[in-house]
Amino acid sequence: MKKSVVSKEYLNLQKEIIALQENWKERINPESIIPNLDAGAISAGVPAAALTSINFEISLFLQWIEEINELLTKNNAELEPKLSVVLSLLDEETAIRWIDEAFSFNSVYFARFAEDNGLEEWIPQFLAETALRPYLQVTAEKIQHEITHAVPGSGCPICGEPARLAVLEDEGKKVMTCPRCLAHWNAKRVECAHCGNDDHKTIQFLTIEGDASSQIQVCDKCTGYIKVIDTRQYLSKPSASMLDLNTIHLDFVAQEQGYQAVGQIKQTN
Amino acid sequence: MATEYVKFVDVTKCDGCRACMVACKNWNDLPAEPQDFLGSAQSHVKTTADTWNVLQYIEHENSKGGLDYLFRHSACFHCTDAACEKVCPENAISYTEFGTVVIDHEKCVGCGYCVNNCPFEVISLKEYVDKNGDKYRKANKCTMCTDRLEEGLQPACVTTCHTGAMEFGDKAAMIKKAEERVKQIKDRYPNAMVYNPQGVGGTHTVYVLAEKPSVYGLPENPKVPTSAVVWKDYAQPIGKMMIGATTMAVVGAFITNKIFSKKTNGHDEDGGESHE
Repeated sequence: MKKSVVSKEYLNLQKEIIALQENWKERINPESIIPNLDAGAISAGVPAAALTSINFEISLFLQWIEEINELLTKNNAELEPKLSVVLSLLDEETAIRWIDEAFSFNSVYFARFAEDNGLEEWIPQFLAETALRPYLQVTAEKIQHEITHAVPGSGCPICGEPARLAVLEDEGKKVMTCPRCLAHWNAKRVECAHCGNDDHKTIQFLTIEGDASSQIQVCDKCTGYIKVIDTRQYLSKPSASMLDLNTIHLDFVAQEQGYQAVGQIKQTN
Repeated sequence: MATEYVKFVDVTKCDGCRACMVACKNWNDLPAEPQDFLGSAQSHVKTTADTWNVLQYIEHENSKGGLDYLFRHSACFHCTDAACEKVCPENAISYTEFGTVVIDHEKCVGCGYCVNNCPFEVISLKEYVDKNGDKYRKANKCTMCTDRLEEGLQPACVTTCHTGAMEFGDKAAMIKKAEERVKQIKDRYPNAMVYNPQGVGGTHTVYVLAEKPSVYGLPENPKVPTSAVVWKDYAQPIGKMMIGATTMAVVGAFITNKIFSKKTNGHDEDGGESHE
């Protein structure tokens, strides 16, 4: 889809970041990623990356953070003073902590780190997450062939990111995709990714007038939603991360209608 | 120019479901046109102003004496060298960045030259009535869903085709695919061929036909009419040059006249003064 509610400048910045990450991925030694998949843990919904031993190269991680800073400063010179202090705060120990906390998406840690060091709140987590993703993506590439489905409610079977995006392929097969690690897995066409509900009476599809290729699948049982995009209609297939960003208007619509990115069944006595 | 796209139609994969017709009506918001029974499964004789693609059903006796039931999704070919664009006196027909040929209704005066000159007979005039009750006409045809292409989406007919008889993609890749498909089906259809007529510079709808073009009612070697080429490529530019030359002559004459008339006036004034 060409029309997007996201500004062209931000889309271009994201494209540049993705290009950087693709470069970084080539510098990762695949041997440094050793999966140790346990069938029991996987079937219980533990993300495969959590069961994988990844030997992070800290110098590379720091170098990548420097490269992101350069890119962000190139796009917006005003960010330079805010970003220049970050590298001086990052010693090896902190970098390892950043990787761990970014993997578990610990927003509380990063918010506190920002506050303690006088940084803007978005900066530490954004940088850590951006530099972590190449590792997650290489991990996903390595484990992809073993992933066929996900446990409802556990998010991406590789990195644990909440499930929120699916594409339609071939004859209408629904393939869930993860915008974070780019893993993909099959799902039933009428099935909630959050609670596993497959009752067609409580699963509905919202469509947007004028948007011929997108649907929002909503579950009345857990009030969760996912975006379902028919990329078969596209002239060229975008990456899952760009697709997620370009369809952000669907998230707004779903949330305005009272649905949540992560559905939960309310416990009642 | 953006990537040049081509719609590849492999008629040997078509099962005649007519979903392409429905998808076209649906996307372009075209009204239904109830038809009398034509003696076959074919709904319309040919494309019309409100039916931009028609599925042809052809009963054909093949070279072995057997009967083939042939289908063809027929719509505008979007010629590279389009006769309709050539003959339009109002420049209402133009090429888009995708290579598709579109009609600008703001400029179209409904003269019907494009209808008469289209080698594939896919353009039709539609009659409209304005608020004063006056009738006027505009030319209509398939746009290759240019509004969808601009949005990064494939044409509606292509996305709905469930047998994969239609594909939309890069021109060179699609033509290569068509040529390979012909090799695959030669045993069953000895006359199979790629239909991408060069007489109109190639088209943006490329077919794999099971039989000769004439079996489908298509011209074997369509061409842009010579009269259209003479008109657009020679008569119009020469005409414009003539207008330019005439204008220059008029301007030149005006300036020359001014200079001479000044001199004359001066002489007259002098004459007047001397007379007094």
